[in-house]
Amino acid sequence: MNDELYVNERIDVIATFGAGLNPCRPLKFRRPNGREITISEIGLRHPSVKGKRTLHIFDVTDGAADYRLEFDSERLTWHLTFEGDHYA
Amino acid sequence: MREGYNSEASLVMHVDLNSAFATIEQQARPMLRGRPVAVVNRRTEHTAIVTASYEAKAMGVKVGMQFQEAARLAPGLIAIESDPVKYRFVYKKLMAILNDYSPHVVMKSIDEGVIDFHSLVDTRPMVEVGNEIKQRLKNEVGRAMRCNVGIGTNRFLAKTAASLHKPDGLDEINHTNLRTTLASLKLTDLTGIADHNQARLNGVGIYTPLQFLDSDEVTLQKIVFKSIVGLQWHQRLRGYEVDDRVFDTKRVGRQYVLERRDLTSQQVMQRLHHLCESVGSRLRAQDKVARGVYVYVKTAERQYWHASRLCQLPFYSDSAIYGLAEQLFWQAPSAIREIGIHCYGLSDDHEPQMSLFGDALARNRQLVGALDTINQCYGERTLHSADTLNIGNVIRQKIPFGSTRYL
Repeated sequence: MNDELYVNERIDVIATFGAGLNPCRPLKFRRPNGREITISEIGLRHPSVKGKRTLHIFDVTDGAADYRLEFDSERLTWHLTFEGDHYA
Repeated sequence: MREGYNSEASLVMHVDLNSAFATIEQQARPMLRGRPVAVVNRRTEHTAIVTASYEAKAMGVKVGMQFQEAARLAPGLIAIESDPVKYRFVYKKLMAILNDYSPHVVMKSIDEGVIDFHSLVDTRPMVEVGNEIKQRLKNEVGRAMRCNVGIGTNRFLAKTAASLHKPDGLDEINHTNLRTTLASLKLTDLTGIADHNQARLNGVGIYTPLQFLDSDEVTLQKIVFKSIVGLQWHQRLRGYEVDDRVFDTKRVGRQYVLERRDLTSQQVMQRLHHLCESVGSRLRAQDKVARGVYVYVKTAERQYWHASRLCQLPFYSDSAIYGLAEQLFWQAPSAIREIGIHCYGLSDDHEPQMSLFGDALARNRQLVGALDTINQCYGERTLHSADTLNIGNVIRQKIPFGSTRYL
């Protein structure tokens, strides 16, 4: 059985917006339960669309599990939509 | 070196992502790296494996195998449902990288592309360019991404070179090492030679790629392939380009394996209707109109049934496609396992000939155009037929193998 949990949590995120190939880099996020997660690697960032809205999907890890963060570029909101792969 | 081999510089490069979808998943989800991963289209035990990671392949898992069987071979095998949006993104990244090197780039499928360096003034060695592409893929997509690079004088040899050392290989096949390379391969290792063609070659005593290379063009053309295909193989094996061709779209279609075997005929028709809408949307996205509809059914007893109809006037709307498909489908057998539809007789959608029913046609065209615009604006299936309302999103778009038309 896969270790996957699909959620839809509004989260607080600390991110940098800089230059280079990956201008937006989330560094840390806080879940509604208060748990803070420090991102150690961004696996992949890819855009997706919901109707006319562009979402930026960040697949990230903290070294203990994988997470999927979604940044809505129109509403400027971040959501955690997936947690899983606690295989370490 | 034997005479007749193409001795010009190798200027064709084939780039192939290794176990593409599994590698992309391992790139996106770092905790999956180093683990056996299988990408599947549906989370069921009977689902077929679309791509397996190298860790899974090392345990005996093969593409096309049922997940149930694969999980027995590779305990702990992780099934990941395919995510076409992610794969499309990587495809576009790969295409952008390849386009930086030549205006003559052809993407052969979602995970491989060919760069033609002919007519370019670039003095850098091809091996250096190949290594740079590998590094750029890691920098611009992610460090777990790997690709095979093959270099040759034609597309065939470049592709063959790209399959020599997986994963992460870089090889060149030219006139100096053509014979030694082919000597290490089996006939079915050659792209385009599967069981059927192998049997044809075996029939005239050709059992190895070297024997294939040494056979004369008359034997290949008159006896083995009985067509110009034999001559093409004679040239292809010697490094001459015969595959630099672009084929027109002949048909547009989709198929669907039913999620359950106990669906009523009405539920099957709803799924067919959904497929028709999807096919119609693809047809119009390519600015094409069709004249024919072909439907098929595969039954639980592995029987194949099909029916088709060619019309005098072209059509393009979902309702026209479904109307024809529905008429054909009433003769279909029961115990259906898979359904499929495609439109054929395609032509470009130029302004239609004036008709006595011009107003009605113009209104229909505007209506279909407005529906497509709304769906493009607000998302696929924002507007669709009421008939397919209650089937939700069961027929999701899967990975388009072999063609890059819909990417």
